[in-house]
Amino acid sequence: MALLRVIPRKATPSVFMQQVARLHNIERDKIGNREVVGWGINGMYSYVDHIAFPMPAIRFKENSPEIMALKEREKGDWKKLSVEDKKALYRASFCQTYSEMRAPDGRWKSITGWVLFGISCSFWIYIWEKLFVYPPMPDTITNIEKRQAQLKRMIDIRVDPIDGLSSKWDYENNRWKK
Amino acid sequence: MSTLATLNFQNAASPLMEQLIFFHDHSMTILILIITIVGYNIISTYTNINIDQHMLESQPLELFWTIVPSFILVFIGLPSIRLLYLLDEVYQPSITIKTIGHQWYWSYEYSDFLNLEFDSYMIPVNESADFNFRLLDVDNRTVIPFNTQVRTLISAADVLHSWTVPALGVKADAVPGRLNQV
Repeated sequence: MALLRVIPRKATPSVFMQQVARLHNIERDKIGNREVVGWGINGMYSYVDHIAFPMPAIRFKENSPEIMALKEREKGDWKKLSVEDKKALYRASFCQTYSEMRAPDGRWKSITGWVLFGISCSFWIYIWEKLFVYPPMPDTITNIEKRQAQLKRMIDIRVDPIDGLSSKWDYENNRWKK
Repeated sequence: MSTLATLNFQNAASPLMEQLIFFHDHSMTILILIITIVGYNIISTYTNINIDQHMLESQPLELFWTIVPSFILVFIGLPSIRLLYLLDEVYQPSITIKTIGHQWYWSYEYSDFLNLEFDSYMIPVNESADFNFRLLDVDNRTVIPFNTQVRTLISAADVLHSWTVPALGVKADAVPGRLNQV
């Protein structure tokens, strides 16, 4: 009787992780020689400058011999690095600094300009409509005597006597309330 | 009557309409409160530069903003239900008016004491006097006694119409072959 050897099952990655691994293999061709250093925004190998995501998934620049030499020196004493070295190390990993990300870009000027242009277009369209589209107003509105007669009738029939029109008319003295 | 500048309800001419206006004011207060709170939240989130995009769950917060709206809804719903049943209260009306809709005029019948029937046509613009309201005035007006309970039976002769008096807070469809009572 053959001894049955219990072979432990290898932990199989979930389907999601398999898909991520497949995409990562595709992406490795796209990013060139750049080093993967973290999860980034969503796990994909992309570089994005964003104030809410301080650590992108990949370095910004490809690993060239100069940068590799700088990284070797970075493993030593940092006081021995000049300011230019430190700046070069930063720019190797990142494209923009936080100040550059947050710097004002003046887009509000063009946005405001286009919005005002759109508003003025709508005003011009309204003027065109008044001139060419709408029929003239009825004379119950344009004729001032008719409007006064209608207003007198509205007061006589006590329209809105509580806090509207008739509440503002002084009936004893036949005039508007002061 | 409504003018071109009317934004709110007309002043109430019956106690039920007054209650409807009060309920409208009450609901509008609650709505403005909610909009102010939510608007403040949106603006403060939008202008806040320190945003954590990975902030996800907070069970106490979700509990709070589930229970508080249910309280608010109770505050809106209780007056609403009270008003709903108040509108359907039955009284002893003193007079009955029958309103029949035609294309395109109303005819009224006052049959309690005298057999009175008349048609009510809109006054055309070219025949109206200076003081007539354009498209609103009619030749024979419907007269209803003041400070009394009035029963109106509304029907139609040809197609669907609808009869309403906004200041009294009544509106009912005039359906051919059916009597609706207001």
